[in-house]
Amino acid sequence: MTLKKYDGLQSEIFVPITPKPVWAPVTKPLKEMNIAIATAAGVHLKSDKRFNLAGDTTYREIPWDTPSDELMVSHGGYDNSDVNKDINCMFPIDRLRELKDAGFIRGLAPIEYGFMGGGGDIEAFTDSTGPEIAQKLKAEDVDGVIMTAG
Amino acid sequence: MQRAIESVGIPTILIAALPPVVRQNGSPRAVAPRVPMGANAGEPNNVEMQTGIVKDTLKQFEVLDSPGKIVPLPYEYLAKI
Repeated sequence: MTLKKYDGLQSEIFVPITPKPVWAPVTKPLKEMNIAIATAAGVHLKSDKRFNLAGDTTYREIPWDTPSDELMVSHGGYDNSDVNKDINCMFPIDRLRELKDAGFIRGLAPIEYGFMGGGGDIEAFTDSTGPEIAQKLKAEDVDGVIMTAG
Repeated sequence: MQRAIESVGIPTILIAALPPVVRQNGSPRAVAPRVPMGANAGEPNNVEMQTGIVKDTLKQFEVLDSPGKIVPLPYEYLAKI
């Protein structure tokens, strides 16, 4: 039996394609690593501009030593009630500071990053917001990033 | 975002509440405690659970050796809605 082939034929139904793997190897033990947080949960300083809940590709910088009660969330894509009670639900800054003090990790990056995930302009995230945050993390000699999203 | 950071040579790990979405989007490293979206790092004010999740997540930096794995974590938080 032979199968008929039609070049360029594709489904009319959108089929998401999982992108090719990316992989940066870990080069040092955990206790020598400087860790940063990057979260899609819409975390920012209370004194910062809120995210536009209808879609926002900007990001906010959060100094590592910010007291957790000076942080808040603006995000239109998930139930904020848990994170309003305790920011550590999505932004475990207090837990990481404790782990730094305990010597579990070497330290925290000077700046952590908050943005509003959950869709929006994916192209802008992929082409500009993502690479911009990545370059800043690289400039700060970050060894690993812990993220909350999805 | 995770992929952008990984692309400049910095290893990343994601705490996910929705592992199928994370798999679809090509996350290089992820863990999945049994939590609702919005409490990925654990129940509010439950320091013990949050510490456990964060420590177990970071430990995977020294364990995982290839992309695309999503490691289940043995913590459960059911939000009362």
